[in-house]
Amino acid sequence: MHDRLTQSMRASHLLALLFVLASLGLAAIGAVTGDTFYLRLGTEALIFAGLALSVDLLLGYSGALSLGQALYFGIGAYVSALTLMKVPSFWLAMAAAFAASLLAAIIGGLIANRVRGVYFALITFGLAQVFAKVVYNTRELGASDGMIGIPVIEIGFGPFSVSAGSPVGFFLVVLSIIMGLYALTAYLLDTPFGRVLTALKANEKRVPFLGYSVWRARMAAYVLAGLIAGLSGALYPMLRGFVSPELMFFATSGNAVISVILGGVGTLIGAIYGSVLLVILKSIIGSWTEHHLIVIGALFMVCVMFLPKGLIGFVRPRIEALLMRRPQAGPALAEPARLTPAALKSGSAS
Amino acid sequence: MTPVLDIRDLGIAFGGLKAVDQVSFQAQRHRITTVIGPNGAGKSTLFNLISGALRPHRGQVMIDGVDMTGAAPERTKAAGLSRSFQITSLFPDLTVAENLRLAAQVLEPAGRAFLPIRRSQRAMAKTDQMLERFQLVHKRDELAGNLSHGDQRRLEIAVCLASEPKILLLDEPTQGMSHGDTADTAKLVRSLTQDVTVLLIEHDIGLVMSLSDHVVVMHQGRKLAEGAPDIVRADPAVQAAYFGHH
Repeated sequence: MHDRLTQSMRASHLLALLFVLASLGLAAIGAVTGDTFYLRLGTEALIFAGLALSVDLLLGYSGALSLGQALYFGIGAYVSALTLMKVPSFWLAMAAAFAASLLAAIIGGLIANRVRGVYFALITFGLAQVFAKVVYNTRELGASDGMIGIPVIEIGFGPFSVSAGSPVGFFLVVLSIIMGLYALTAYLLDTPFGRVLTALKANEKRVPFLGYSVWRARMAAYVLAGLIAGLSGALYPMLRGFVSPELMFFATSGNAVISVILGGVGTLIGAIYGSVLLVILKSIIGSWTEHHLIVIGALFMVCVMFLPKGLIGFVRPRIEALLMRRPQAGPALAEPARLTPAALKSGSAS
Repeated sequence: MTPVLDIRDLGIAFGGLKAVDQVSFQAQRHRITTVIGPNGAGKSTLFNLISGALRPHRGQVMIDGVDMTGAAPERTKAAGLSRSFQITSLFPDLTVAENLRLAAQVLEPAGRAFLPIRRSQRAMAKTDQMLERFQLVHKRDELAGNLSHGDQRRLEIAVCLASEPKILLLDEPTQGMSHGDTADTAKLVRSLTQDVTVLLIEHDIGLVMSLSDHVVVMHQGRKLAEGAPDIVRADPAVQAAYFGHH
């Protein structure tokens, strides 16, 4: 059967492949020219792309707008930073961030999933702000200054190791983790489990009468999104060597939502493109004027008005159409055949 | 033999209004039991109480001998009860086949939940079977939201049936249908009793009389009468309360 989500995901995967190839190409150029600045900026864009990915899972698939996804990003970042300062191990830091964001997302989910719609957006916003303020005022966590002095770590992959201090090396590590998270999310959405999550967006009221618990499905989506945000956040202190409460503030959550809308809600890969686009825009426009947020705000409005499905939302259907055309044996033959009475009667032509 | 659905003294009040009050009846296996009554008699509320959309204030709902009173909809569904809605409730952004497969997914063993969906062969087979049976094969890849009203109503029933329930609650399946479609739907509902027990809400009296094995008449939240269609029709109280309006 034609499964539209499977099909559109195929188009997303092609765009993901394109993204990886472009990233590898740029990374190679960066390595050859000995660039540091742009590789680090690109790595940061990828880290925030992970946060945007988690927002799109909630908004684009299960239909819940979270305005506080930075909470889990920040928790991942802080827990990773704290772990690294005790034991400079990449895997331990990732495991600790995983556990912490899992726990936090379960607690946050229990609170936020009591409501939906606008109230869900407000509660997620409030949760993140409250927690960020607590961190902001906790001296043990560096209070408003955040924490600095996180050691540069060696990331071991069996016999190989990459230094987080190597711009191109760490870029590649982050690229593979973020694309891994993308692949995992895309895989899960294409399972029966994932289809129940997407059913929430389509018609939540009907879901329990098909035999699925809405609460469980919403919790699953929320916790999964929290984990993705947390794991992405865990990479941040490895890149920048510090964490600050700003990582949990609304600006961070809001940027992720803007990235998703720029890239295309419900396209998954659009979150990643959107995030990179936002970072590029910020740094280019920021080099012209201090008031770059005004320009970005205006661009965002233009995008919402004239490209409401976002960049990938606009491009992807065209790629889908291309992908659809190829496997069928000659459209020139199939078209007239469909018009014969026999084909109409048999019904299941095409 | 225990009745497949046993409603005992069911009641709920909204504020001071007793929307459903002391309603008891049984639905026998592979029969069509129809609930009739004027607007506001409490028929849809009764369905909401049985399917778990509302929690009753008193009484019991027994499904196949198991007490499912006040259980959440997903639990009554798991107990074998499936329901349709008076106002079509489909997944408009999904195709016809995807709507059916989503419902049929519950037939898959739990371990399949995290395997790619194309591996859910039982759900796929059930989807094909439903498309065939409800004459929706040629519409399989159309968005449910783009179907005609009649097709949507049929898909609504097919979605309910795709999960292989024991009991099917149909809330006005012919609502808004043309004459021809209504007759087709009646035939369809009759054919369903091979597999399921049907509990029906229906307004078309001709249809009720020809289709039902058992009729329950409701009036102002209470059960006014029940019995075989012709006996119920002859009941003077029923005539005064219900048929008198027509």
